[in-house]
Amino acid sequence: MNSFKNFSINKKNNSWVKILIGGIVVLAVLFILNIFVSPIRNSFYAISSPIQKTFWTAGESASNFCSSLFSGGALSKENANLKSENQKLLSQVAALQSIEQGNQAQSDVSASCQNSGFSLLMAGVNGLDNDILFINKGSADGVDEGMPVINQQNALFGKVIKVYKNFSQVMLISNKNSVVNVKIQQPDVTKPEIDGVVKGSGGLSAFLDLIPVDSNINVNDVLVTSALDKSFPKDLLVAKIIQKEKNDQKPFQQAQINLFSNVKTADNLFVITNYKQN
Amino acid sequence: MFKKLLVIIFLFYFFALLQSSFLSHFSLFGAVPNLVFILFFLLVFFEEGNNYQIIIWSAIAGIFLDLFSYTYLGLSVVLLIIFGFLLKKVQSLLKDTEDKYPFVYFLPLFIISLLAYNFLLRTEIIFSVVYSSVIASVFFYIYRIIFVKK
Repeated sequence: MNSFKNFSINKKNNSWVKILIGGIVVLAVLFILNIFVSPIRNSFYAISSPIQKTFWTAGESASNFCSSLFSGGALSKENANLKSENQKLLSQVAALQSIEQGNQAQSDVSASCQNSGFSLLMAGVNGLDNDILFINKGSADGVDEGMPVINQQNALFGKVIKVYKNFSQVMLISNKNSVVNVKIQQPDVTKPEIDGVVKGSGGLSAFLDLIPVDSNINVNDVLVTSALDKSFPKDLLVAKIIQKEKNDQKPFQQAQINLFSNVKTADNLFVITNYKQN
Repeated sequence: MFKKLLVIIFLFYFFALLQSSFLSHFSLFGAVPNLVFILFFLLVFFEEGNNYQIIIWSAIAGIFLDLFSYTYLGLSVVLLIIFGFLLKKVQSLLKDTEDKYPFVYFLPLFIISLLAYNFLLRTEIIFSVVYSSVIASVFFYIYRIIFVKK
């Protein structure tokens, strides 16, 4: 009877030992994997990149198609305009190849940035996960951590947070960990500058915070980067105010904003390679 | 068995690619359904696999989830192993004599697991869970019709 009891206790102990050893082995494997995480991730992205890019483009087309279906009521109105534009567009279709689009974007951004002295590197968007964007340029192309990422209209998307050999991860300004110093663009230059911060709230959205209560802000005011913390070059487009939230009990005003960085329509972005976070 | 494993690896990879690229254009308030998590959960819920199978599925699903995100490689593997074993334990406690795989068990367990997973990884919680739950409900019936023997 005693030996039977001992046997069952030993069996229980054995299973715990097995679980413990299994756990240690799993943790050891994961630790080793994390030592070589950069080459592993780079190779994986290199293999997946063509498929991911195809899916990204397909998603963009499908999304455009679906949104046009859902806005069916406005279709008849748009139809007349579209017919008149059709002939113009037909002549341009041949020029709308993806490479040419890239070249066009490159020249647009060069024109808009020539006075700023930015050195730009064009990068294709491969994917998105929780406000982290994957781009197809890495350390081999001169990308480094902290570099700002914009589009051809000079709208700020975010900054590079992780660089692999051929790929990089960009933290969007909508990421919960992102805080960007901004100022409100004033039409009247004699007025004092209003400073605030844009904080990411996740899910591709952000909000404006830390605006002094006595400052007068309005819907449709445009927010641009200020060079206060040197994270980003100044005067990059960030967002537009869509709703003010003033509460007398709070020391600062907040506002809902609409970011200019539309990830869903971003095919090509630009990394500012000669401006790095201090 | 080996063929089945290859198909599962391919499906996890395909779903990981899909949710990080194609589905980003169909996001709900920035959230996309976590297809890899849904497939993992369906496999653990429906398959009568042993502990080793749960570990293998967790490893494959977790690695793909981590590769397409900004976390430590393996964090999802550990979490999925824990969720996998907990799910099997809860399933053994909630035995239903008439229906072996009831939807009334599946959905709450799925929601709780995904809530915990998103919370621990500090990712978008509410919309991601709602979106994923709708897709998971559809996948549940598809899986049950195709693969579960009556």
